[in-house]
Amino acid sequence: MPDYSILIEHWDLYMQGFLHTIKSSVLALIGSLLIGTVMAIFRIAPVRPLNWIGAAYVEFIRNIPLILIVFVFFVGLPALGIRLDSFTAGTLGLTVYTAAFIAEVIRAGILSVPKGQMEAARSSGLTYLQAMWHVILPQAIKIVIPPMGNQFINLVKNSSVLGVIAGLDLMYFGDLISSETFVTFDVYIFVAMFYLVLTIPLSLGVGALERRLARSR
Amino acid sequence: MIHFRQVNKHYGSFHVLKDINLSIEQGEVVVIIGPSGSGKSTLVRCINRLETITSGELIVDGVKVNDKNVDINKLRRNIGMVFQHFNLYPHKTVLQNITLAPIKVLGVSEKEAKETAMYYLEKVGIPDKANAYPAELSGGQQQRVAIARGLAMKPKIMLFDEPTSALDPETIGEVLDVMKTLATEGMTMVVVTHEMGFAREVADRIVFMDKGQILEEASPGEFFAHPREERARLFLSRILSH
Repeated sequence: MPDYSILIEHWDLYMQGFLHTIKSSVLALIGSLLIGTVMAIFRIAPVRPLNWIGAAYVEFIRNIPLILIVFVFFVGLPALGIRLDSFTAGTLGLTVYTAAFIAEVIRAGILSVPKGQMEAARSSGLTYLQAMWHVILPQAIKIVIPPMGNQFINLVKNSSVLGVIAGLDLMYFGDLISSETFVTFDVYIFVAMFYLVLTIPLSLGVGALERRLARSR
Repeated sequence: MIHFRQVNKHYGSFHVLKDINLSIEQGEVVVIIGPSGSGKSTLVRCINRLETITSGELIVDGVKVNDKNVDINKLRRNIGMVFQHFNLYPHKTVLQNITLAPIKVLGVSEKEAKETAMYYLEKVGIPDKANAYPAELSGGQQQRVAIARGLAMKPKIMLFDEPTSALDPETIGEVLDVMKTLATEGMTMVVVTHEMGFAREVADRIVFMDKGQILEEASPGEFFAHPREERARLFLSRILSH
């Protein structure tokens, strides 16, 4: 049995970390969905230079460790005179990193929509972006929900990278409590429990959404 | 209305369309027939630039289709297209399928778009399916919705790319009937089909293609009674003998 007095005595710190982890995850989720969708469309759109930008983004970012991308924002930008607090730097790094994976997931979803859908939409006079928005993406989204769920769960767990740069998240406060109390194992068990409080409902939610969309076709 | 002048198209080293010369006037119904792989579909798909031509000139509704400065979306408003596999949007209802382009492209109000959609659904005989999803319809019904979707843009030209090839035999008739009505109302139509009965009855002109070339152009009476080309005779004997 873990020592619950640690949890009770440091409840405030755990909660601070928990809320920051939620905040960072939600911001990174929204940001990476936006950037990811744009990059996916860049890779597919019938415009060569955009294809290159999209491909370069994905290949460059997803092949670098997350921690290094966070360092770019935390250490690299200040060298150029742009100073960010550690929470912002960490969340930006997380966003940029996750977007590369989401771009690939969305691209696969778009490509799995039959070609005739784009042809029908374009031949009715819709622009490429209108066809994408009204016809292709709604169909692609349904296809990509399961792999997207994986990305979101990874995102929440990856937000622990903020701990490394004092980003005020769960991991950071876990370290703090541990160094104050000299307790290691029990402190981190509670950290893990807080992550599970986030990720398990997320998992179940994605599953439920998948089943609902499967019914509505 | 549609003028091909010395049009060629290559897919890499494959010469799909060879020196195509063809003029289609307003109100004309032209049926393109020929063996598979002869370039019929490609020819039709060039008209609204779903395929680009490699050389030559293609003028549709007074517009050079392959000119770089052409606003292709504007041209496409005037050209309806019906596909072999219907290509209805599965996530939208029948009504939403039909109203999408009028609302987004022509900018008509939702109310007006719905009224127009209902008018054309009546016309193709399935107003009761307005709120159904495509997957709930039979093939013939889906294709009629696709035709209504094309018509709702009030196009000057309708293109049909093998509209009955994916249908089971029982529902082919209902689609052909809708197309016949359209033809008698004076719509300019270019139809790729293997339905010889339809071609004979409805076409103003038959275009016979083989290996990327137009081999013969004639009125249906003439073409079916006395095909000039040996290849056309062979094609007809194979297709009509069973």
